[in-house]
Amino acid sequence: MTVIADPGADPTAPDAHARGRVLASPVTGQEFVLLGVIAVLWVLLGFSTPAFLTAGSLQPLLVEVAPVALIGIGMTMVIITGGIDISVGGAIMVCAVTVAQTLVTYEMSIWVALVISVAVGAGLGMLNGFLIAYGRVPAIIITFGTANLFQFLGLQIFGSSTVNGIPSTLDVVGRGVNGRTLGIPHSFFITVVLVALAWWYLRHTVGGRHLYAIGGDPVAARLAGVRVRRRTLLVYLITGALVGVGALFYLAKGTSTLDQSVGSGRELAVIAAVVIGGTSIMGGRGSVLGTLLGALLVQTVTSGVTQLGWPSQLSDLFVGLAIIVAVGTDLLRQRARTSATRSQR
Amino acid sequence: MTTTVPPTTPPPPRPSKKPPAAPTEQRTASIGSGLLRAVLTQRVVLLVVLLVAVVVVNMLLSANGYLTATYDFDYLASALIDAVPLVMLALAELIVIVSGRGGIDLSIGAIVSLSGMVFGFAYQQWGWPFWAGLVLSAATGTVLGLVNGILVAKLGFPALIATLATWYAYKSIAVVINDQKPISGKAIQGLFSSVNDKNVWLIGDWIPDIPLGVFTYMLPVVVGVWILLARGTYGRRLYGIGTNDTAATFAGIDVAGTRMRAYALSGLIGGIAAVYLVAEFSSARTDLGTAGNGLALPAITIAVLGGVAITGGIGRVAGVVLAALLVTWLNLGIQLSFQGNEGIQFQLLALGVLLVFAALLNGVATRRYGGTS
Repeated sequence: MTVIADPGADPTAPDAHARGRVLASPVTGQEFVLLGVIAVLWVLLGFSTPAFLTAGSLQPLLVEVAPVALIGIGMTMVIITGGIDISVGGAIMVCAVTVAQTLVTYEMSIWVALVISVAVGAGLGMLNGFLIAYGRVPAIIITFGTANLFQFLGLQIFGSSTVNGIPSTLDVVGRGVNGRTLGIPHSFFITVVLVALAWWYLRHTVGGRHLYAIGGDPVAARLAGVRVRRRTLLVYLITGALVGVGALFYLAKGTSTLDQSVGSGRELAVIAAVVIGGTSIMGGRGSVLGTLLGALLVQTVTSGVTQLGWPSQLSDLFVGLAIIVAVGTDLLRQRARTSATRSQR
Repeated sequence: MTTTVPPTTPPPPRPSKKPPAAPTEQRTASIGSGLLRAVLTQRVVLLVVLLVAVVVVNMLLSANGYLTATYDFDYLASALIDAVPLVMLALAELIVIVSGRGGIDLSIGAIVSLSGMVFGFAYQQWGWPFWAGLVLSAATGTVLGLVNGILVAKLGFPALIATLATWYAYKSIAVVINDQKPISGKAIQGLFSSVNDKNVWLIGDWIPDIPLGVFTYMLPVVVGVWILLARGTYGRRLYGIGTNDTAATFAGIDVAGTRMRAYALSGLIGGIAAVYLVAEFSSARTDLGTAGNGLALPAITIAVLGGVAITGGIGRVAGVVLAALLVTWLNLGIQLSFQGNEGIQFQLLALGVLLVFAALLNGVATRRYGGTS
């Protein structure tokens, strides 16, 4: 329902043949606003706490942003198709604890760990995708259910309350000195590269455009020849695989211990980043660039609150307000667009 | 509109794929297929079957010594202390989910936390009488729910987003409001006796001791919601807007106002549940409704298991109550099947399997019979 209001992002608009008109602008209004807000916040924080704009403060910030934005890529795709994935928190736990246990038992390189984690994550994502695409059940219900299943699975693999003695194999994507090149955390760099890839996929490939079509109207998309079920399965699979990568970032926190709180509540943090980034929860509209900026904004607020010496839980209040403001301005713009298209007719 | 027919009339049966069977054949097949149809389309029937199965299986296991304690009616009754908040919050979710347009309340756990803290202030620190604290807590919950309602119904926010945002906000305020410390003391600790097991007046010697909270909190809320939804005009309007926004508008219903009140009601129930939970834990904890996975997830799970359609317009109080009982008594059986804490993990498994199973079943029922009720 929201797509129709925005001819610029609507691949099924009648005049969609002219390529330039399909892809109006590479950066949407929401992203400009987010960039502006982040810039203002950084300047303000830079003035009020001189320590904010230093490498020692910005590097951990980027390390925290990385997994949220990375998993946010998959979540953005899922939400663009009109779905949602509540189970990523549980999936993070399963991937992280599986890798942790194998690292403790066997000596292996980070590549093997990556393959294991991505395979496990993709498997879990595929279960979601299969149930949603072929069981024809609302995504929110299925992923509420699998969230419980994944937590059970994760806790079973944990065995005891913590996994101890995890070797430092994963430090390359961690927060320490080994995890940086030229001052940029590797995990953040990987995230930016994948965001760029996903941005290209969503804007410039047929498969990517199909995702928007499914979110706009699945029935129309199917009649237009989009293999809706296969694409739906794919986005949950991609989300799972990205959870596998993100779990390694969570695991590489610089301690040799992993406790059962890993992944807990992450699904809501990722969804928050996605919606602050301007992706419509109704489907059919959104961008991964916005998600990256959304994650950056949330983490800026969180770090800012801590560095100003305010109680750290206060940051959640600002996250809540940020969601309301971001989605609210988007709603206003949508209304303006709708009335503009109406007056044109 | 004085009748109490189910809110949605199922669409007429599909143009028959198979030709109708000859009358004689139909007579013999009808009992089996009728039962199947009842189990698939009447969620209450399915839940009763499952509930009886769970209790019987566990009692058999218990009688043969497989459980760590005796699974009997006394135990079942005292386990109800956990069912009370589940039932209340699942009914809150029932109201908002039925209101349609993607209705959901993720913030209910945070509303419980914040209302509980406000109750703690009033009852423990300001020395207010109990009833005044209860009213204040309920009022707080209503206001918090109203904020959700205004965002969703008046301003057009998607419910998932609005309540995700307020979940963050309320959770944060609940922690910060008393400097991250819970509120407890003599007055609050004294409240536990108002919810724990009691010998029921007059007939108490013949039935198991039942937690007092069932009568003081759960039953009033259940009856209140039932009257509101199944016996009052508000319920008719709510099911109407949940089934079809546009049709309801043309029928002269105040769609935005009705939907807004659904969220306020959800908050009100959250505020009442908060007082119960403070009494049960003998402390107003800052994370009363948000600890661990929070209370919203189980509440939504139970609502869906109870037959509430996530698309709105469908859902019954009886289904939700039965689903909460099923989960409570199943959890009890699981807990008694394991030594130590491992049972908690298997409770997650059971909840997940039940939810996926119920959702898939809804899909089958919709395709086969055109809908559940």
